[in-house]
Amino acid sequence: MKHKMLYFTVLGALICLVLISLGGGFWGAEKSIGHWTGNMFRGVCHQLPDRSFMFNDVQMAVNSRCFGIFSGLLSGWILIAAAVFLMNKKYPILWFLLLAVIIQIIDYSGNLFQLWENTNHSRAVLGWVLGLAASLAVFDQFQTDNKSTKL
Amino acid sequence: MNEEEIKQEENFSFNDYWPSVGIVGTIFSLISFVVGLFFGYQQINSEPTGSFFSPIMLSGVVVCLVTAVAGLLAVWHFTREVSPKLKLGQGAIIGFLTGAVIVVISVILNELWIMLIDPEYTQKIMDSTIANIEAMDMPDSAKDDMIDAMADSMETGQSFFRQIFWGIPVTGLLNLITGLLGVKFFAEKEETF
Repeated sequence: MKHKMLYFTVLGALICLVLISLGGGFWGAEKSIGHWTGNMFRGVCHQLPDRSFMFNDVQMAVNSRCFGIFSGLLSGWILIAAAVFLMNKKYPILWFLLLAVIIQIIDYSGNLFQLWENTNHSRAVLGWVLGLAASLAVFDQFQTDNKSTKL
Repeated sequence: MNEEEIKQEENFSFNDYWPSVGIVGTIFSLISFVVGLFFGYQQINSEPTGSFFSPIMLSGVVVCLVTAVAGLLAVWHFTREVSPKLKLGQGAIIGFLTGAVIVVISVILNELWIMLIDPEYTQKIMDSTIANIEAMDMPDSAKDDMIDAMADSMETGQSFFRQIFWGIPVTGLLNLITGLLGVKFFAEKEETF
């Protein structure tokens, strides 16, 4: 595996990102909005209570879709360690990423134009798929040269 | 070009990164600032509908998505203008720095707007958002919780340095990852013999 230092640095950062996104409930506080965990995501997430999961009866610091994306990024990043050793064929990873982006757009637009109503769980799952695909898309960059793949 | 020259070319300094980071970061912070203002004033000037899909919510989603791809484009710019060969770690640095630049310039532009153009902007946004929450079809206790949470958020998150301190890690990390994608998409592969 190449770039081990980068891999483990980003892994640590993503673990922190997910733990902080759990919000005040994980850190012993009674709220997330107004807490340092909520402030951290204020610029990237609307943090609407009805669109967020609860952790220890406290609203998380991010909405369900953002939490899905962050946990998907972490899951994908962990899977990179296995993928660099196991995947040495031409896997359609970029198509998977493109598909995940398109599904997000369709899901968001459908809900916006009231064609259907998505739920916290559906938003989290689709977000997770997008995060997973984004992380896995760079797995070949960590492979030693004799295993590098191209699309 | 001999092997030593290629190696020298691949050891970039921060001065090599700044043009791409600065240009892309500035463009994206301007976009996010303008989009934020557009949706902000749309929110201020709209009648409260009670819908969760307020202009401010749309603004958050659009700004988040737009700023997250800046790392990818900064790496693209670097491969076009500085060197087509780029290591993965260098792409990560470019991505992270681009995210940091976006946060810093966006906060400065917002502060300038409030200081020089519309000092009541934040208050108007808050009033309009509260009016929208009050029109929502939900129990009063839930409405009060939302309004309290929003007031808390406004009070604790307003200082200039606090916005930068809290903003850089998350935006930087998201752009770092898109910077890695940029290396995959745009950087030349090293030749192996």
